[in-house]
Amino acid sequence: MEINKDFTDKSLIQSLRTDENPDQAIRFLYRTHYNLTAAYIKQNSGTEEDAEDIFQEVILSFIDILRKDKFRGESSVITFLYAITRNIWLNELNKRGRSKLRDEKFEKGKDTVEMDVSHLIMNREVKSQLMEVVDKLGEKCKKILLAFYFENLAMKEILKALNYENDQVVRNKKYKCLKQLEKMIMTDTTLAKNLKLHYNE
Amino acid sequence: MNENSTNTELLIQYLDGELQGEDLEAVIKNLANDRSLREEFENLKLAREAMRSYGLKIKVGAIHGDMMRELKGNKTPRDKVIKMIGQYGIRIAAVLIMLVGISFLYQYLTTSAEKLFSENYRPYIIHTMRGAPGNSGLSEKFKKGNMESVILEFKSLHSPQPEDFILAGIAFLENKQPEKAIETFQTLIQENARLKTDYFEDDAEYYLAMSYLNNQEPVKALTLFEKIKADSKNPYSSKVSEWFLLKLKRLQVKD
Repeated sequence: MEINKDFTDKSLIQSLRTDENPDQAIRFLYRTHYNLTAAYIKQNSGTEEDAEDIFQEVILSFIDILRKDKFRGESSVITFLYAITRNIWLNELNKRGRSKLRDEKFEKGKDTVEMDVSHLIMNREVKSQLMEVVDKLGEKCKKILLAFYFENLAMKEILKALNYENDQVVRNKKYKCLKQLEKMIMTDTTLAKNLKLHYNE
Repeated sequence: MNENSTNTELLIQYLDGELQGEDLEAVIKNLANDRSLREEFENLKLAREAMRSYGLKIKVGAIHGDMMRELKGNKTPRDKVIKMIGQYGIRIAAVLIMLVGISFLYQYLTTSAEKLFSENYRPYIIHTMRGAPGNSGLSEKFKKGNMESVILEFKSLHSPQPEDFILAGIAFLENKQPEKAIETFQTLIQENARLKTDYFEDDAEYYLAMSYLNNQEPVKALTLFEKIKADSKNPYSSKVSEWFLLKLKRLQVKD
């Protein structure tokens, strides 16, 4: 049974930044911030569906920023999440060609704390293109690379989980898969350029 | 394995933090001197970051679905069933309330003094009252159901007895003369009060109340019926139901 855990800003940041399994921290964010985000999106020309999509993006961006140590802790988590939400939704409205509406409503709803987080957030379209590319990688490759680079599993655990014969087979497979993914990304020069800009920010 | 492959493998080992000693130093040195190697290393790093972003997206996506169900209050199929039952329950309750409402409305619209009287009137059964003076032979005519004869004979009496008043009053009532019935029962009650007796008092009060009802005087009838109902020793108390009183009150409102 999962226990609902409460977090302070500090423990939340710590968990999302370093935990291999930050599920509880992510759930906490949903419980404490989703309704605020949804209300904000709906007040600014969005729908419930928009709110769901945007909130996912907000969580992903927030964790990404934390893991790159780009959050300096100068504001509270709620203020920072608001800034991320605002930035992502502004871009989305722009993309939908509703800049006039944006100017009218966003300026009215502007928070007193103005924070520019745009340089920290990967563009939604870039992210979407990246996901499409990774999706094209074979299932075995995705599993082995996720096990190594996302779940941070030890070699023994990977051998057991993916049913490989020995360390060397896994290493060879991982090498080939990572190289394959690298080539796939580099083939799309625009995507590669945008990713470099983002990851080297 | 050619030189390029060897370099890539070393780069990946370096990326994963697995190199030590001379190998580590060699890779660092090569990266510093070889631009294309540096570029390859950056690209591999990019691929690793892409994989991390992909993993995070999958994780958050899975939690997202779960949390939306929790936040929107329909966590599991079981909860959905409970919710559905709840919704049906509310609908059924609403229908029942509506039916009860319609029933009350129907009762309200269709309740009349005549209807209430005919539904609740019970014929008088002659009984002997210990210590009470006898009657003047009216009871025989009453038993035969000849109410007009009862009325005629009652009118001819010079000194009617208490039971005569009761039988005559009921004869008036059954002969559709409620005003006369009221007058007759009231006379008996007044005589009892004057003489400090209570001969056929309970019968007189009950049939007086019925007479008021029959005479379209629900307010007076209600006062008497409530008094009878409140007195548990009154033999007519059990004949006056709460439902009857409620109907009478509705009639009073309509009146």
